[in-house]
Amino acid sequence: MSHWEPKIVSFLCNWCSYGAADLAGVSRMEYPPNIRVIRIPCTGRMSAKFILAAFRQGADGVWVSG
Amino acid sequence: MISPKLVEVGRHINIELMTCSEVESVEGESGNFEVTLVNHPRYIDLAKCTGCGECALHCPVTAVDSFNMGLDDRKATYIDYAQAVPLAFTIDTDTCIGCGKCETKCMAQAIRFDDKERKTTLNVGSIILSPGSQGFDPSGLEYLGYGKYANVITSLEFERILSASGPYSGHLMRPLDRREPAKIAWFQCIGSRDLSEGANKYCSSVCCMYAIKESVIAKEHAGSDLDCAIFYMDMRTPGKDFEKYYNDARDKHGIRFIKSRVHTIDPVPGTGDLEVRYVTDGGEMNSEIFNLVVLSVGLQTSPDVIRLANRLGIELTRGNFCKTETFEPVATSKQGIFVCGAFQGPKDIPQSVVDSSAAAAAAGEILSTARNTLTRSKEIVPEINVINERPRIGVFVCRCGINIAGVVDVPSVTEYAATLPYVDFATENLYTCSQDTQEIITQIIKEKNLNRVVVASCTPKTHEALFQETLINAGLNKYLFEMCNIRNQDSWVHKNNPELATEKAKDLVRMSVTRVALMEPLKEAELEVNQTTMVLGGGISGMAAARSLARQGYETHIIEKSDRLGGQALNLFQTPEGEDIREKVSLYIDDINNNEKIHVHLNTTITRVDGFVGNFESELYSKNEKQILKHGVAVLATGASELKPVEYNYGKDPRIITNLDLDKKFIQKDPMLKNLTSAVFIQCVGSREPQRPYCSRVCCAHSIQSALELKRRHPDLNVFILYRDIRTYGEHEYLYQKARKTGIIFIKFSLDNKPEVTLQEDQLRVGVRDHILNRPLEISADLVILASAIVPNGDEKLANFFKVPTNNDGFFVEKHAKLGPSEFATDGVFLCGLAHYPKPIDESIAQGLAAASRAVTLLSRKNIFMSGTVAMTDPAYCSSCGVCISICPYSAPSFIPDDDRFFPGRAQINPVLCKGCGLCVASCRSGAIHLKGFDNDQIFAQIFSVNEVI
Amino acid sequence: MGIEPGRLHFSWISSAESTKFVDVVNDVTAGVKALGPNKTFLKTEAKVA
Repeated sequence: MSHWEPKIVSFLCNWCSYGAADLAGVSRMEYPPNIRVIRIPCTGRMSAKFILAAFRQGADGVWVSG
Repeated sequence: MISPKLVEVGRHINIELMTCSEVESVEGESGNFEVTLVNHPRYIDLAKCTGCGECALHCPVTAVDSFNMGLDDRKATYIDYAQAVPLAFTIDTDTCIGCGKCETKCMAQAIRFDDKERKTTLNVGSIILSPGSQGFDPSGLEYLGYGKYANVITSLEFERILSASGPYSGHLMRPLDRREPAKIAWFQCIGSRDLSEGANKYCSSVCCMYAIKESVIAKEHAGSDLDCAIFYMDMRTPGKDFEKYYNDARDKHGIRFIKSRVHTIDPVPGTGDLEVRYVTDGGEMNSEIFNLVVLSVGLQTSPDVIRLANRLGIELTRGNFCKTETFEPVATSKQGIFVCGAFQGPKDIPQSVVDSSAAAAAAGEILSTARNTLTRSKEIVPEINVINERPRIGVFVCRCGINIAGVVDVPSVTEYAATLPYVDFATENLYTCSQDTQEIITQIIKEKNLNRVVVASCTPKTHEALFQETLINAGLNKYLFEMCNIRNQDSWVHKNNPELATEKAKDLVRMSVTRVALMEPLKEAELEVNQTTMVLGGGISGMAAARSLARQGYETHIIEKSDRLGGQALNLFQTPEGEDIREKVSLYIDDINNNEKIHVHLNTTITRVDGFVGNFESELYSKNEKQILKHGVAVLATGASELKPVEYNYGKDPRIITNLDLDKKFIQKDPMLKNLTSAVFIQCVGSREPQRPYCSRVCCAHSIQSALELKRRHPDLNVFILYRDIRTYGEHEYLYQKARKTGIIFIKFSLDNKPEVTLQEDQLRVGVRDHILNRPLEISADLVILASAIVPNGDEKLANFFKVPTNNDGFFVEKHAKLGPSEFATDGVFLCGLAHYPKPIDESIAQGLAAASRAVTLLSRKNIFMSGTVAMTDPAYCSSCGVCISICPYSAPSFIPDDDRFFPGRAQINPVLCKGCGLCVASCRSGAIHLKGFDNDQIFAQIFSVNEVI
Repeated sequence: MGIEPGRLHFSWISSAESTKFVDVVNDVTAGVKALGPNKTFLKTEAKVA
C-alpha cells in the first residue's frame, strides 16, 4: 500500500448526527473522506457487538454518534 | 427544525403550492369564493428544476442577498436557502443581465426566459390568511444611528449572523470589520411600546424572548467570556418554560439585564465601537461602551398586507392586525375567511402553530360536508411476492447534474456496482429524483424482474419517501429499498479529493447492496380509527374542541367532573376588551347542549383507560355507575385553577382577596365595592417564585382590567398596582397605557424586597419600597387584590392512563414545544387549555380548536398505517426478564397474558405503539427481539462489507 | 483486546450542528491516523484464510 488511508466505521443516529452530516454536505463543508457511515435508527440500537465486529473486520477506527 | 414540515407540505398530494402568487380579488361568500390570483413569473420551470444549483454557480451577476438581510451576496439566479420548498431556483429580473449562461448550464432544461405573468382563478369554500409580519425598520429612529453606524444591527440581521448557513457561516463577527465582538448590547422595544410617530404602541410579544435566546446562543458560539447586556423596560417572558429560560440566562449564563431607557448612541472614533448612554430605573445617567449593538425590532403588518385586507374588506385593529373576537379567535370580520399567525396579533411560534391548527379546524367546519370530495388519493398497485426468491438487485447511481458526477467518477461506481453479488442491473441517471426517471425506474424493475433496489444519490432524509413510492408503483414492498448517500456525505464534502471520494462511494454502494440483499418485505400494521371522540373537561377550551369536532361530523363525548359546563370562565367578569364573559360562555354552553352530536357527561370521572390510538376504551364513573366509552381519540382539557395564596395575610381579612374573588364581587354586585378610597393590587403572588418559577401569563392584563373597572366606577379612587414586570403582551399593551393615563399608580418591586400587607387595629396597610424614590412607602388600603398564580389541576392518574408526561410545574408536556403544542407524543391524545399552560380565553379557545384540528387529521383517515420498521419478539427465545418493558419509552412491549395458549409470560411488542428506536433490541440479553429493517443481520452485513471481502 | 482506546470514539451532535460534525470527523480521523493501521486482527485473519 503506497499511501495508507484509515477506514473509520461510523454509526450515526438517523435523527441527530446523520442529519448533521447531511447539513454539512448542504453547506459544502469539507472533511476527510475516511468515514463509512452506517445509519442506525437511534443510538439506543447500538450494541457492543457492532463495534467489535467492525474492528474484527479490520476497521481502523469506530465512531458512534448520537 | 421546520424542514421536515416543509418537505411534508411540499410532497403532500392534496396541497398545491402556488409560489410567486398574490391574491388580487375575492368574490362570493363563505362556502363559495372565487379567488383571482396573479402569478408572477419565476423564469424557472418548477416541475423541471431539481435544485442542483448549477445555474447559480455559473451566474456572473452578484446581487444583495435579501434572505441574509443584505449581509451577504447571492447571484441573480438564486434560492433563499438550501432547504427551501419547493426546492427550485428563481431568477431575479432586477439584477439578471440576461446572458443566458444558466440556460446553457441547466441540464434539466428548466430555464424559461419567456415566462410571463399569468392570472388564475380558484374556487374555494374557505380562506385562511397567514401573511405574517415584517420586522420594524429602525432607520427612522435617529438616536439609534441604524444605517449610519455599521455595528448597529437589527435582531433579524443578528439571527442570520448566528446561523450556520448565514453570511459568516455561524461565526460570530460584527459587520464593520468582521472582528469578533467582546461586548454586545441588546436594546428592547425598538419600534414597540413606543408612543412616538412612526413607531408602534403595542408590545410585539416576541422580542424579550428572542433577545435572551440570541444572547445565550451568542455566548455558546463565542465562549463564556462574551459580555451580553440586555437593556429593557419590562422583561416579558410569559410563555411556557420561558421564565426558566430567563432565569437561567441571568443566573447560569451571566447575561446582564439592565432596566433602563437608552438615551443616545455615539460612535467611539476609530474603533467601530459604540458608546451607549442610558438612564437607569433610579434616574441615574450611565454610559458604557459596546462592540456591537443589536436592536430588538418589533413585528408589524406590512403595507402589502394592509392593502390586501382592504381589498378583501377585512377589519383591522388599531395596530393594523386582523380584528378577531375573544370567542372567535381565528375568524376575521368576513365570514368564511380565517386568520392565523402574526397577522392575527404579534406572537411567537407555538402560538402561531396553535392558531394555524385552529384556523384549519374553523375552515374545516364549513367544509365538513364536502370532505374528501376533491381530494386525490394514490392508486394501489398489487404487491409482488418476493419471499424465497434470490435477491435481484438494481442499482441506480445518480449524477445529480454535476453535483455528484463532478467529483465522484459515476461510471466507474456504476460499473463496480454491476460486479457486486446479486446485482442484476446497474445504471446511472442524470437526476434520479426527476419525475420521468421515476417512470423509467418503474419500467426497469418490471422488465428486469428486480426485487431489491439501491439508489446511490442524496440523502434518505429528503428523498427516501419519493423512491419508496416508486417501488410501490412498481409493485415492490417499499422496504426492499436502500439509499446510499454519495452526495451530502460524499461528493459535496470531499470535492478536493475525487479519487478517495470515488473509493468511498464504491464502499458505500457495496455496503448498501449487501444490506438490501437481506431486506425482507415488511408489513405495516393497519389500524381502524374509531370515529367517536372524547373530550376530558368541559371548560372553555374543552367546549371549543368538542364543538369543532361535532361540527366536523364526529360524535363527541364531554366528560366533566363538576356539575356544569364552563369551567374557570364562569368565574371571570370581563375580557380585557370589556366583553361580558359569562354571557358569552352561556351562549357557548347553549350551543353545546343543542348539538345532537355532543354528549355531555357531568359529575363524571375516568377510572380506567385501555387501548391505544384509534381504539381507546375508557371507563366512565358517575354516581356509582360505570360505563365503557369506546373512542378513537382523546382531548385532555382538564384545566387549572387559581392558587389560594399563603402570603400577604390572605384569608385573615375579607378585604384581602384574589383576582377571581374580585371578579365574583363584580359579578354579584357586592356592596363592598361601593365605598372605597384606596385599592392595591399585588402581582406575581405565587408565580415567578423559586417554588413556582413560571409566569401565570394572564394576571397583568387581568389586574389592570379590574383596576380600570374600579377606576371607572370611582374616578377618585386611588389605585396602586405593585408589580415586578408588567406583561401586557401584544395589543393588551393599550390597557397598560390607558391605566397609566387614568392615573393608576404602578410601583415596581423585586423578589427580594416584596411588599408587606399588615393589619393594624382594623387598618389595612401595604408597605413597599418605591423604586424611583428608593424609599419605603406605606399605603393604607380598603382592598388588597392578589394576582394569584394559576396551578394545574394535576391529575397524575390521568397522565398515567394516557401515558402522557407532566412537567415540574404539573402542566402537561406537549409533543413539541414549538411545532406540536396541542398534541402529545402519545398518538391519538391531544391537549388544550390551561392544562397545557396558563392562558387567556382567546388563546384557550384557539387551542381547543387546534386540538380538534389535530384530532381530525387522524380521524379523517379512518384507517392508519404504522411504520414497518418496528421491533418484534421471538417468544421462544424470550427469558421473560422484562428489561424491554421497563426500557421502552413508548410502552410498546408487554408480557403475553398468563392464560394465553402460546408463550404465556413472554414478551410481545405492540407494532402500533413501537417507534422502531431499537432500544429494546440492544437491551435484550436473550437476543429475542428483532428490529425489522435494522436487524443484526443487516447491520452486520454493512459492517462486514466495509472492506472488500475478496 | 489489544485495541487502542483511541480507535473508538463517541459523540453527541444535534442535526443542526454541521460545524461540530465536521470538527468531530476531523478529530476522529486525525486520532485514528496517528495510531496507524489496525493490525490487531490481521494475523488471525490470515490464519483463517
